[in-house]
This record gives sequence, structure tokens and C-alpha cells, in this order.
Amino acid sequence: MSVLDGVKAAVILFVAAIVQVSILTQIHVLDGVPDLLLVTLVAVALLRGAVVGAVGGFFAGLIVDTATFGQLGLTSLMLTVAGYWIGRYGETTGRDRAHAPYLSVAVVTALYAVGLLLVHFVLGERAPALPVLSGIVPAVVLNLLLTAPVYALVRRLLRPPSRELSTEVRLLG
Amino acid sequence: MAPPNRTARVAVLGSSVQRSKSGRPPRGRSALVRRLVLVFLVVAALALLTISFRSPTSGALHDVQGAGASALRPFQVAAERVARPFRDVYGYFHGLTTAKSENAKLKREVREWRAEALKNEAAAAQNPALKKQLAYQEGPTFPKDYRPVAASVTSFPAGPFTQQIGIAAGSHSGIRYGTPVVDGDGLVGSVTNVGPSTSVVTLITDADSAVTAKDLTTGVTGLIRRGSGDSLILDRVPKNQVVQKGDRIVTQGTRDPRYPDIYPYGIPIGRVLSVGYSDNAIFVQVQVAPYAQFGSFDSVTALVSTKPAPKLP
Repeated sequence: MSVLDGVKAAVILFVAAIVQVSILTQIHVLDGVPDLLLVTLVAVALLRGAVVGAVGGFFAGLIVDTATFGQLGLTSLMLTVAGYWIGRYGETTGRDRAHAPYLSVAVVTALYAVGLLLVHFVLGERAPALPVLSGIVPAVVLNLLLTAPVYALVRRLLRPPSRELSTEVRLLG
Repeated sequence: MAPPNRTARVAVLGSSVQRSKSGRPPRGRSALVRRLVLVFLVVAALALLTISFRSPTSGALHDVQGAGASALRPFQVAAERVARPFRDVYGYFHGLTTAKSENAKLKREVREWRAEALKNEAAAAQNPALKKQLAYQEGPTFPKDYRPVAASVTSFPAGPFTQQIGIAAGSHSGIRYGTPVVDGDGLVGSVTNVGPSTSVVTLITDADSAVTAKDLTTGVTGLIRRGSGDSLILDRVPKNQVVQKGDRIVTQGTRDPRYPDIYPYGIPIGRVLSVGYSDNAIFVQVQVAPYAQFGSFDSVTALVSTKPAPKLP
């Protein structure tokens, strides 16, 4: 991955984090909140792999925690793991599959909510299971609606690297 | 049918063909690097979390976070300004659908309050003279002993874990821990984390929030806490006390100077929606509809006290 690609990924995640914190957290549909940052991170991780996913998740989480004056490191921890995991999926079984972004977003949205609940519980903070669990399905639907345009935009901005054949064949005769 | 000039060609793996140079590390090394990056980031996040958890409102990390929040504020304000026209359009059409019923309700309220204002005028005129006779000592009163600091809202509650908003004003504007925050309609909450030019306000809808409150009509006191949905409850009201539907609830203020309240007396909180009695419950179940519009803040006002609290005897 080139430096330019890294800068592009950083800018994309920064903008997504700011939009998420400033605008999208106000939109509540049946207890669900669309998470543009998570969808963008999934797109970046699928296109650029586990390391970029993890590093991007860490710094995007840091931006969110700083902007909201929240527990520093909490969102970073969750997004790092999410970015890494989706990146690995993209590098292995999810490569070139059309359903990969949708499947990743749906699964990560649910696991991210449950993960946050668990971390809050472990920290001894308020962890209301019912509102969190009841908000998962609407959040998954809202995030799936965001997936197609966000993935298309991120793919356009971060062009996939050219593939190299692992084996070459010489025709003899 | 095969063309006549076709020759047999055999495909074999050409070991003599040079593979293109990719510059990639070997697979085993790549996996090691990947795992090391993950472990490093997770440990860094856990370290930040631990430090932040131990000292959420002070310390070097808090100062760095405050500086970072100040640096991010222009981007947040810019994003909010871009989104505002769209929200305004939505608000306009949403307002049109409820305008007629809201108009009738407001007219009814104006009639009620006009009658009440006339009654209160006489009492208010009498009040200064009585206070003077009693040499009455009191702390800061709302709103005359407070300097309003208007601030735009830069972040909103992100989920069901906390009910907090970020505002674009901090210690440089005189805001301190515990500063009460209101909107145009009523009490919003209090400041629970302060940076140089940003602050965090914990809303009265937060599960950990409790505000001592008073029923203006009957004088009954209780604790305002989070209720179900968007409502609040007036807790700790004994069954022998009377609370009626429609009563107005305001902050109670300081009752005992040894334990000063962060909220001054008289900030409107809400109106009683329903009053329920249960054989099993010790207290009356009073549901309160908040005046503040928690779902649609653009800006709020922090009340910075201009008068020091009375000293302890």
C-alpha cells in the first residue's frame, strides 16, 4: 500500500468519524442509529486488509473518543478488533465476493453493539442490555442501507491494487 | 473441427520463467507483522482506557484529550452547519403536520399562564420586603445571579450507554464541573467534564442523574430521575403527598447550606403526565414530561454563577 493510499484511507475515516459524531448520532430510527464510521471502516478493511483495518479502526476510535470527550481507548479497542477481523475476512474467504461488504457490515454491527455492552459491563458502568439488543436489528438495517454507496465510494477512492499471478505458465510446443 | 495448421502445444509449469518481483515479505513474516500490529494496538487501547478510567476528569491525558477536542471542534461545527439546512427542512415539514394541534395547546397554556402571572405578581412584589425583614440569606438565584454562556452542541448521545452531549464552550468561558445547563424550554443537565473550549454535559435523562425537584402547585418535593422512554419520573414522593396531573416541576435548589445543590431554585424541568398509586410501592409513581427538547438540540445555555455560594456557618 502506497503512502497516498494511506493518506486517502486516513482522510476517509476522519471524515466518517466527524460526520458520525456531529450528525448521525442524532438520527434514531426504532432505537437504532446508523453508524457511518463502522460501515466505512468495513469498506476500508475489506479493500486494504487487516493491518490497515486495525490501524484505521484504532485512530478512528481515538477521534470519536476525543471529540465526544468519552472514555479514551474504548471505541479504539472495539474498532481495532473489528477492522482487523474484517480485514482478515477480506484477505481470505471474502475476497472478490459481492456479498462480502453486506455480510461484514451486518455481522460487525451486531458484534460491535454486543462488544460495547460487554466492555461497559466489565468496566462496571451502566450496561443496559435490553435497549442495546433491541437496537441491533434497526442498526443493522440502517447500516446495510449505507453499505452500497459507502463501499462504492471507498472502492473508487481506494482503487484495488493490481493482482499478481502466483504461478506463471509457459506454453511449449 | 480443428484447423489444419494447428500444432500440438503442451502447457507445463515453466520453472525457468522469472516470477515478477512483488516486494512483499514472505507469508510467515507478513502474518507475524500483522499479529504484532494487532497486539500493539490492542495493548495501546487498553492502556489508554485504563488511564482514562482512573482519572476521567483530570490528569495529563485529560488535558491532551481536551486539546484534541478543541482541535476537532471546527470540523464538528462545519459538519453540523452542512447538515443544518437538511434538518431545518425536515423540521419545517414535521412542524407543519403538528402545527394545528400545537397551536390550540399553546393558546390554552397562554390563557392559564396569564391568569397565574396575575396572581404571582402580588406575591413577587411582597417577596423582597419579607426577605428584608427576615434578613434572609440565600445562594445564587436563577436567573439573575447567573451569566448565560450560549454554546452550540457538537456531539450527541451515541447510544444507550450514556446520555451526554458535547458543547462548544469550556473553562475559558467560565464553565466548571457541575455548571447547570438549560435550553430555551427547561433544564438539560449539568457539566461533568470540562476542557479548555469544550465540555461534556450529562443530561437529566442519564441513568446516574438525580435532581432535587419541587412541585410548584403543591410544594411536594422529590428526585427527578430517568423514566421509561423519553419521560422522567419524580421519585421519592410519599403516598400521603398530593401531586396532580399537569403540575409544573422545577428545581428545588439548596435546602441545607451544608449540602449546596448544583442547581439553583426555579429552573423549569417538566410537567406531570400521570400519577399512579400501587399497593406494593412505597412512593407515588409520578411521570413527568420534560420541557427540554432532548432529541433536537442545536444549542444550549450554560449558567455560570456570578455570585459565590453562601459560606458555611
